[in-house]
Parts: sequence; structure tokens; C-alpha cells
Amino acid sequence: MATRTDGPARGAQLGRFERVPWRRVILLLLAILIAAVAVIGAYKTLTLPADERYTASTWKDFIVLGIAQGAIIALIALGYTLVYGILRMINFAHGEVFMFGAFAAYFFSSAWEESGFLDSNPWLSMAILFAIAMLVSMTVAILLERIAYRPLRNAPRLVPLITAIGASLVLQNTARGFFGAQSRGFGVPAALEGTWTIFGLELDRIQVLVIITVVLAVAGLSLFVARTKTGKSMRAVAADTEIASLMGIRVDRVIVTTFAIGGLLAGIAAILFSITFESVNFTMGVRPGIAAFTAAVLGGIGSISGAALGGVLLGLLQSLGPALILTGYEIPSAFQLKDAFTFLVLVLVLIFRPGGLLGSDEAEKV
Amino acid sequence: MRKRKVFALLAMVAALSLVAAACGGDEEGGETAATGGGETAATGATATGGAVDCEADPFGCVEVPAGQPIQLASLLSISGDTAFLGTDSNHGVELAIDYLDGTFDATPGQVLGHDVTLQQEDDGCSAEGGQAGATALAANPDIVAVIGTSCSSSALGVADTILGDKGILLFSPSNTNPGLTSEEAHQPFYGRTAHNDKIQGAIVAEYVLNELGLTTAATINDESPYADGLAAAFRVNFEAGGGTITSIEQVSSSDTDLGPVFTNIAADEPQVVYGPNFNPVCGLSYTQGSDIMPEGTVQIGSDGCLESSFLDSVGDPIGGHDYYASSPDVTAFQDGAFFNDEYLPAYTEQYGEPTSVFNAHAFDAANVVFDAIEAVAVDDGSGNLTISRTALKDAVFATSGYEGLTGTITCTPLGDCATDVTIGIFKYNNWPVEGGVDPTDPVYSATKTLADVL
Amino acid sequence: MDGVPTGSVIRSGVIGGLVAIYIALVGLYTKFADLALVGEQVTLGRVLIVAPALITAYAVTRPRVVAGERRAATLRQGLAIGALAGLITGAVFGAAVAFAEWFGVERIREVFVAVTEPLIDFLTFGMGVPAGLLVLAGWCVVGGLVGGFARTAPLALRRPASVGIVAVILFGLLQRIVPIVFVELGYEADWLYSPITKGLTWLGGLFVFALAAGADILWRRSGDGTRDRIRTGVYERPAARIGFLVVLLAVLAVLPLLLGTVISEVLGQVMIYVLLGLGLNIVVGYAGLLDLGYVAFFAFGAYATGLLTGAMLNTTTGAAEPAISADLNFYAAVWIVMLLAAGVGLLIGAPVLRLRGDYLAIVTLGLGEIVSVITASKWAQPLIGGPQGMRGVSKAEIFGLNPQDHPQDFYYLALAFVLFALFVSWRLAASRVGRAWTAMREDEQVADAMGVSTIKYKLLAFAMGGAIGSLGGALFAVSLGSLTPASFEFLVSITALAVVILGGLGSLPGVVVGALVLIGLPGLLREFEEYRQLIYGGALVAIMILRPQGLIPNVRRSRELKEEEVTQDAWARDGTGEIEAVAAVLPGGALGVEEEDLE
Repeated sequence: MATRTDGPARGAQLGRFERVPWRRVILLLLAILIAAVAVIGAYKTLTLPADERYTASTWKDFIVLGIAQGAIIALIALGYTLVYGILRMINFAHGEVFMFGAFAAYFFSSAWEESGFLDSNPWLSMAILFAIAMLVSMTVAILLERIAYRPLRNAPRLVPLITAIGASLVLQNTARGFFGAQSRGFGVPAALEGTWTIFGLELDRIQVLVIITVVLAVAGLSLFVARTKTGKSMRAVAADTEIASLMGIRVDRVIVTTFAIGGLLAGIAAILFSITFESVNFTMGVRPGIAAFTAAVLGGIGSISGAALGGVLLGLLQSLGPALILTGYEIPSAFQLKDAFTFLVLVLVLIFRPGGLLGSDEAEKV
Repeated sequence: MRKRKVFALLAMVAALSLVAAACGGDEEGGETAATGGGETAATGATATGGAVDCEADPFGCVEVPAGQPIQLASLLSISGDTAFLGTDSNHGVELAIDYLDGTFDATPGQVLGHDVTLQQEDDGCSAEGGQAGATALAANPDIVAVIGTSCSSSALGVADTILGDKGILLFSPSNTNPGLTSEEAHQPFYGRTAHNDKIQGAIVAEYVLNELGLTTAATINDESPYADGLAAAFRVNFEAGGGTITSIEQVSSSDTDLGPVFTNIAADEPQVVYGPNFNPVCGLSYTQGSDIMPEGTVQIGSDGCLESSFLDSVGDPIGGHDYYASSPDVTAFQDGAFFNDEYLPAYTEQYGEPTSVFNAHAFDAANVVFDAIEAVAVDDGSGNLTISRTALKDAVFATSGYEGLTGTITCTPLGDCATDVTIGIFKYNNWPVEGGVDPTDPVYSATKTLADVL
Repeated sequence: MDGVPTGSVIRSGVIGGLVAIYIALVGLYTKFADLALVGEQVTLGRVLIVAPALITAYAVTRPRVVAGERRAATLRQGLAIGALAGLITGAVFGAAVAFAEWFGVERIREVFVAVTEPLIDFLTFGMGVPAGLLVLAGWCVVGGLVGGFARTAPLALRRPASVGIVAVILFGLLQRIVPIVFVELGYEADWLYSPITKGLTWLGGLFVFALAAGADILWRRSGDGTRDRIRTGVYERPAARIGFLVVLLAVLAVLPLLLGTVISEVLGQVMIYVLLGLGLNIVVGYAGLLDLGYVAFFAFGAYATGLLTGAMLNTTTGAAEPAISADLNFYAAVWIVMLLAAGVGLLIGAPVLRLRGDYLAIVTLGLGEIVSVITASKWAQPLIGGPQGMRGVSKAEIFGLNPQDHPQDFYYLALAFVLFALFVSWRLAASRVGRAWTAMREDEQVADAMGVSTIKYKLLAFAMGGAIGSLGGALFAVSLGSLTPASFEFLVSITALAVVILGGLGSLPGVVVGALVLIGLPGLLREFEEYRQLIYGGALVAIMILRPQGLIPNVRRSRELKEEEVTQDAWARDGTGEIEAVAAVLPGGALGVEEEDLE
């Protein structure tokens, strides 16, 4: 957080007054204020009269819901993190990549729901649905890179960001034109309805599936990046594109691979999201997309474990935060403010720790 | 050289414009003659009968020369996500024009020997859309009346004032927001055949308290003024009837994850969750609410949910979780006879399945306007009509005991013409929309007037 | 056809066919099949059938550099290549239609909702498969020929022809507006627009074509001499410049009287976005800080104006007094609003000053979303009405004008505000502050090292941008008189950004042109409402790739971008030649920069 203007050399020439790092002081005060508001809110919530207080089982529900939702966000966040790590660009249209995967799978799941295939072969049909969503999301991600981003590879940073926003609008409205504006119900195999009891906790089967899938996906991705040749070249390109290309790494190919992997993960997330909420529509990518980006930044953008951690934290924050902090202040309809809450946290993280929780502060450099 | 070419070209352009002007001139001449005739006739009528005094009407008169159509307009949501609502209402108006000759035969009838044209504008289901559409309509001095808007936000403080300032009647088939006809906000040229949501909220509250015998309820609404207003109307009547509201929640219309909100609602253990929302929030809250709320909790929606997309997004009813939605009771319309045997078949034949229930309100609205035109328009004897704007408005507001499709129509001074409102409660998936299971009889139906409710 | 890269023709033809299929699937044909432009036969849908082939042919007949030499196709070559490209486009498109028919329209419709029997009927001109496919391919060939012609015919011929055709299509599209204006102003419109088809009559079409083409020819002819005289005169002689300004102001002053209420209303909306664009231009264009949450200032300006001028909250029972309110005159309130907004700009700006560009973008996006969420929230309902919103914002009556009720009066009010904001922006750009912003935008570290206080100037940019944006919000509140949260969405931020970028970052005329194109056209063509976002998105992508300096580039800014383009081009040569392919769609690639740079 060092700033150039308040360095000692300069400070010595200026008056005493100017030597005080005002910006830091203000930020510190801000941090203390926010922390105080949060702690007092939580205290007030927890000390509400017994009949108004949340029960332990309600808290458990908040936590489980938060983790399950956060796990899905984490998968999408990985797509942001990978692309950012390599290209230093925010792929704003990643949420739409996710949405297209969900739509593709929807058409199969609804047909199979009618024919009974979904219930008679739940695991096979789920596997195929995953494959379809992954394939479609990957294709959209690769096309997106090819058409909207590649021509701008050497443009100033803000240019591809603006293009990405445009691409996001185009993809959203394309889906609306192609598939219609209304929401569609996503069929879920009967085998996935109901609950399982694990370690004495009664959990929705879908929540269990979500968490297991996400853990596997994150582990698989980490191994891939750490162990395989492609993974190593990805890391090399992320570290320094020019040197990597001098070392004989085909940068373009690595970039396409990165987008493809991001797409695959978004495809997995799309299925998990669709079976959780049993609904798809053309704007479904917007909120998860922004939330996932927030999660990636929260965890430390560019870091795989950071994205996973950020996703889960964000899920918890969205689910627990309003209940824990806002309820104490008797704010009406606290959960409506959960997005405002999310963004507030994003802003705070970027201000106080731009590198994210697991990242370095390097990101602050211009 | 160059100059000559320029000259040739100029000559050509000039010649062309002359031709154009000549052709235009021809028609214009005819037109002027016709209008002129109209004006003389009007003066004549005033002179002889003294029936219309356009000078005395601050908003003047609409002149409809012989052989020219009466221009009606609609300001409805015909694009975007709420297009199903506006196009459906437009069909209702078109059917009313069709039925002017006493039959639904897809050939339009006439009012006082004049054809009726319908200029369709889009209200965009937003304040900005209402402004743009209303400005376009207000610019046309020949518009007699406007059927609209679809969405309350397009009318309230926007279209109702823009058109009202010109003395153009705005008559809505589907605005239900109580604010529009409240003492403080009502604009003199605004009326509606749609029910006031105060009534819908009251009937649902009564159903929950008296029929279901449940006394605790939570409300959850999306960010639309419609949902917010209806939830408020329900709460007032529910509490007045002895019920307890356990929590009031609001969610963003683009939110998918309603799990935490429902967990929060469930913590207070209400017997009923009232969520008068639009889709997709409506469908999402049914599936996620059923997942989180204990079995036996009743969920209730409203006419915003009564869409085929709700059926599509929800699928089969969820066991142990009853879902109801309130809506104007289609089956009560005119004891069903005219509606079921003539109107509905005609609608289905011309446009396919209705996409909302408000086409009937639009049909009624157009007919009330036609009757009012017939009552106040003055014919000079050669077919030229003069319609005083204020007189037309007064005639519409004087409507009393008119037997419409949607029930008896009697206008209050504040523009609520659906005073006797029959609201039905439908149980999912026995719904009066495309894809619903027949027969679509409501499980409960009640009629109330504005005076009965809070 | 020597020197014609057959591969490139085939590839472009196929892309053209895919574009046509996209148009079909996204529902544009279905929507516009019956929108008559001229007579009964020329509908927008049919124009859209011809368009992909036309554009493909136009792109593929561009001059090419072969062995360092620029080679333009001759007319004959152009027509031949155009026809071939059109044929391939038609073949691809026709094959898709045949496939749909063979596979079963109903089955495809389960996925792609726009694919219906009427669509197939429309695309096969009612003749069905296969006869109709020949007609379809035939029209694509015609499109290709026109495209080739438009590229390779002599300038004196193709230019007026193109201008004429564009004018006819535009006036055909304006069928809802122009007749209303005619009626309002007391003219007869039936000879120009048919009351039956609603579109232009054949006579009307011919008239518009002749008028536009004639105007173009006159302008071109008088061109070299007069145009240059006008240009240099305006630029160089102060007296001429003042004269030009006076004429411009006079034209602007009488415009609403000539155009009637409907177009005045649209112009009013345009000017609201000119204000938003000007404010955002200070932040993004001048200071180089990408702000994706500009809607925050818009909302702040609107709601603050409402609260300060005695607006009431909408409630289900009628109205309620807001928790905090004042009943000031609008012209007093607006200064307070601007001052407060500048303060909000500082508050938002201060904590995020040190963030790098793309992080800043996301943080501002987040702040914008927070404002959007709060406007609709139950929490803020006692202050600003929540979902129900507010009504009864001041009518801003002044000098007998009533801007809220009369679009023409509103136009004058908005014009005054816009001129004010333009003046401020213009002076700022030329001032010391403007130069500091430029330095900071180009290289923050260097600027800092040179003694430019980047913190101070960033804060100033946020404050100025916020104040002008809130002015847009204040105007918006006056124009509607009624505020609901639905008006303050993320899309507002994107639209304002698109306005600035389309016109050209940092360019004041650019903002005006950008707003006219992005707000004015959709305002007049409300039939396109559903496709508005698609068009905005497409415009953002296309501009960034094809012409990053915008339609009317800022001189200094375009120089910077051009340097960047050089590196891009170098990359493109090594890579795929993408730049070449896409840049070809615009006549002569990214022209305009050179001209401006000479000054």
C-alpha cells in the first residue's frame, strides 16, 4: 500500500503536516468504522430476545446454502482467474459462457424428462448433461476469444474490457432471440431429490453432489496446472508472455486452451446451478458472473485456490451476512441488500488488499 | 461543364418535387375540402342544435369528417418480456372493433357510420416507454381516446399526465396499482376497467383467514411496483382481519438464489407465504420455497404468475406444498355464456390461446369508449362527427351498470370502473392459462367492491 | 478474375451465409417480415435478406495490397466477385432453410423459438422449398452485385446511389414518426407514406431518393471549393467561427418548431444522454478512468432533484411525504444537486484512487450496482419510495416555459444545460487541468514524476464527471416528473459508455453524435426496442475492433490509439490477418485519423 507521494525523501522537504499519510489514516479509520458496524450488528443479532433469535438449525441452513452456492460461484470464478492470470483481462462475458452451457443441457434434460430417461438412468443422463454443457460452454468461450478478444491482444487494457462488456450484451440477447425470454424449468432426476444424512447432518442430495463435484474439479484443475506440460506452459505465459514465446511456447494456443478450460468449468457450474435452482433463462449468467468475479478478486485473482476460497467465502457472506449483520439493525428486507453487501465487500477488499486474500499486493502496481 | 451538370440535376430534382407536390397537392386538396366541410358542418350543428360547444371545452373537439375513420389508439406493452400482456390486450380491443357489427367475423364494424382504426404504441412497461408513447399519441390531434397502459409505471405520473394535459382519455385494461386512482394521484382523464389491487389483496387475505383458517403469513415481493403494492394491500387487510404478518421480504427481480431469504422466512414459521410476483421470481420462489418451508406451508401468488412460463418453469405441483394464485375470475364473466360461447372461441380462432386474462378487460374498455362516443358525438347530418373531449370523458365516467365481459362496470369519479370485482383463487396446476389442466374453475371466488376494502 | 483470392471470396460468402442464419435464428426476420419500407413489396425483412450478401460483397471487393501495391478491383471484377460471394451466401443460407424444412420446423422450434413455418414461407417467398430457394439465392446474388457495385463503381455514381438508398431505408423506418410530424405541423403525408402499408409509397420512396442523392451530388460538386472554404474559414477566422456558431445556435433554436413534439421529445432524451456522455467523457475520455457505475450519478441527480423540489412518494394509498425533503425552485435545487454530486464523486473517488484501470472499472461497477439496489430497496423506501418510486418532481417552469409538460420547452431547457456542459468540458480540455489529465492518462507514473498531482486531478475528474452526470439525472427527473427504480439500471452506465466510445473518447462532437445515434435512432425506431441491447453490445465490440478512436475522434487521443494500432497491426501480420479482414468492412479501413492529424 506504499504510495510514492508520502515517501520520506519528499516528505522531508515538505512541512511536518504533509508528512502524515492522510490517505492511510482515512482508510484506517474507514476500516475501523466498517469493522465496528459489522461487529455491533452481529452482536445485536445474536442478543435478540430468544423468540426473535435465529435457532441453531437456521444458522446451519444458512451455512449449508452458502457453501453450496459458493461452490458453484467458485467454479465460475476459476474461469475468470485463469483468463486474468494469463491475459490480464477481465472476461466480462464469462457469465454468458455459463448461461449457454445451461441452455444446451436444458433442451436435453427436458426431452429426457418427458421420455423418462432422466429418471430411469439418472447417473448416465447426468454424465451426458455435464458433457453437453461443458462442450457448449467451451465452444462459446473459444469463439468469444477468437472473434472478440484476439484482434485486441495488444490493445490498451481497457479496450478488451469494453469489448467484453459488449460481447456479454450480444451473447445475452442472442440467447434471448434464439431461445425466448421466458424461464424454463430444468428437469432433475428423481434420484437426486431428497436428502442424505452424512456425519449426522441432513443434506440435500444436490448440495452434496455440488460440493463433491466442485472439490473434484478444483483438485483436477490444480493437478493439471501443476503437473501437465500444457499446465506448465500456462504458468509460463502467465509469468511473462514474451519470454514464454521466446522459449518456444505457442502463446496463442495456450490462451485458447485457457479459455477452453474456463469454458469447461463454466459448463460444470451451469449444470450444478441448473439442478440447484431448476430454472434457466437468458439473464441467468449476469448475477453469478459478477459474483464469481468478486469471488476471484476476493481470493486473489490469478490464484486457483484463491478463487475456490473466494467463492465459498462469498457464498457464505451472501447467505449469512444479511442475517448476521443487518438483522441486528432491524433493516427491513435485509436479504434484498445482499448484492449491495457483496459489492461493498469487493470494494473494501480492493481498497485494503488489492491482491486478495491469497494473492500478493503486486496487483496494485499500475 | 460542371455547372451545366449541376443545373441538369437541379432541374431533375425540381421536376421530381413538382410531381410529388402535384400528387400530394391533389390529395391534400381533397382532404382540405373534406375537413373544411367538417368544420362548416360543425359550425352548422352548433348553430342549429347547439349540441357541441367546442369553444367551451378547454380541450376542444375531435373532428371526424365523413368517410374518415375514428382514430382510437392503444398504449400497451407490445415488446420485450411483458409483450404477452400488451399484445393480448390489443387483441381484446381489435375484437371489440370486430364486434361493433354484432358478430365476431374478423371484419370490423363501425361507430356511427365511421370505421375505427387502432394506432398501436408501445408503453415499454416503463416510465420512459410511457412517456415516449404518450408523447407520440398526444401529438396526433385526431386521436379520440387511448386504451392503455399495460403497466402501472407507464401511466402513473407519466402517460396519465401527458395525455390528460391534452384532454385525451387514457383507459387502462390492466393497470391495477391502487395509487393511480387514489385521491392524491388521480388524473382527471384516467380511468380503468382493470380491478384495483386493493380488492385483490383483500380477497386473498379473506381467503387465507376464513377459508384456509390460517392466521400467520409472510410476504415476499420482487422489485416491481405491482408486487410491492399487492403485498402491501394483502398485509393491511390480513392484519385488519386478525392475522399476523411474520416477515416482509423483498428480493431483486434478477435474483435466482432465494434460499437464504426463505430460510429467514422459515425461521418465523408462517403458515402462508404470499408472493404476488412476476416470473421468474414467482416460479423460483415456489420451487425453492417448497424446498425450505416445512410441509403444509401454503404459498400464494397472483395474476403475475398466471402465465404458461410458470407452468413450464415449475412442472408438476410439489407434494405437500399447495400453491394458489389469485386472478380476475374468468369463469364468473357474464355467467360465462357470451364469454365462453362467442368471445373466447373468436379470440382463439383469430389469435390462438389468450396469454393473459386482461384481453377481456380491454374488450370492455373499448366498448365503454365506443358507447361514450355514440352518446356524445354530434353528427351534422352528412356524416361529419364532432366529439367534445371533456364530454367524452364525462360520458365514460358516467358509465353505470354496464354489463361487460368482466362484470358490471360502474365508474367512480376517481376512474375505477371495475367496482364490482370478482377475484378467483386458482389452485396449481388447475390454471386458466395455456397448458393448465382443465377445467379451470377456481377453488374460491368472491366479489367485492372498493367500498368493502381498506 | 486475376488477382482475386478465390479462397477469401468463398470464406466471406460462407460467413455471410452464417450471418443470415444468425439473423433468422435471433428472430429479426420474423419480427420485421411485414414492416413495409417502400410500397408493399420492399419490407425491412426483405432488405435484411439482401443485406448479408451485400455487406459480404462490399467487404470482399475491397482494394488489396499485393506485393506492396494497392490494387482496386474494376467495376467488372467487382460485380463478378460480388455476385460470386452473394451466390455462396445464398447457397449457405438456402441450404440451412432446406435443412430446416427437411428436419422439421416444429422440432427445431423446440430449441430456436424464431423458427416457424411463417419464417420458412417468408424466406422462400411463399413458394416453398425448393422453388423459393432459387429466388432466395437470386436475391442474395442481387445483394452481392449491389455490394460489388457500391465498392467499385465510379465515385460519382456509387456515392449518391448509396446515400439515396440509405435515406430511403431510413425514411421507410421512420414511418411512425414522420407522418405524425406532418400531421402535427398541418401537412398532408399520404402521398409520402401510405396509410395502408404505413411505409413509404413508391412515389415517396423515389422522392426521398432523389432528394438525398441530389443533395449528395450538390455537396460533392460544390465540394472542393466551397467545402474547403467553409472548413478553413470556420477553423481559422474568428469572425467566421462566431458567425458559424450564431447560425448553429439559430438552427438549434428553431429546430423544435420545425420538428414537432415527438421529435423534440426524442431530442430531449438525446440531450439527457449527451449530458451523461459529457460527464463520463471527463472521467473516461479525459482522465482515462473507466467508470462502469455511472448510473450512480444519474440516479443521485434524479432522486436528489425530486427530494429537493418537493416530490412525493408513491404509496398504495396515494402519496406520502419523503423522510427528508425540501420544496425549492428547480433552478436553485439544481446547483445544490450538482454540488452534492461532486461531493459524492469525491467520496467514491477517494478510496479507489490507487486502483489500476480494470480494478477501478469493477469497483465502480459495484458502486453503481449498490445504488441500483438501494433505489429499489425497502430500506430506502421511506426516503425515495422503493419500488413505487416518486412523482411530482418540479415542472421547472421558467419564462413561461413548461419543460415537463411540453417536449418543445424541455428541449430548450436541455439545450441550455447541454451548452453549459459543453462549454465547461471544452474549457477544461484546453486548460491546465485538461493537460494534466492527458498527461496522467498517457502515463501516470511519468505524470506523477513531472509533478502532476495525480490524486488531485483524479478526484477533480470524479467530481466534475459526477456533477455533470447528476445534471443529466436532474433533467431526466424533470422530463418524466416521476421516478421509478427501473430507470436506474446497469444498462444506463453501459449506454453512457457506448455513447462516449462510439463518438470517440475525449471528443465533444463525438459525444453528441454518439448520443444521436444510440439514443436518437432507437427513440425514433421504437420497433427495435427488443434488439436495442443487442445493437449496443454489437456496437461496442465492433467499434473497439474496427475503429477504436470512434466516429469523430479526438485529435490527441486518436494519435495515441494509432500508435497502439501499429503494434496491433504488427501482431496481426504475425498472426491471423484478422485485422485486415474486419477492417475491410469500413470503407478504407480506419480512415479519418490521418486527416485530423494534419492539423
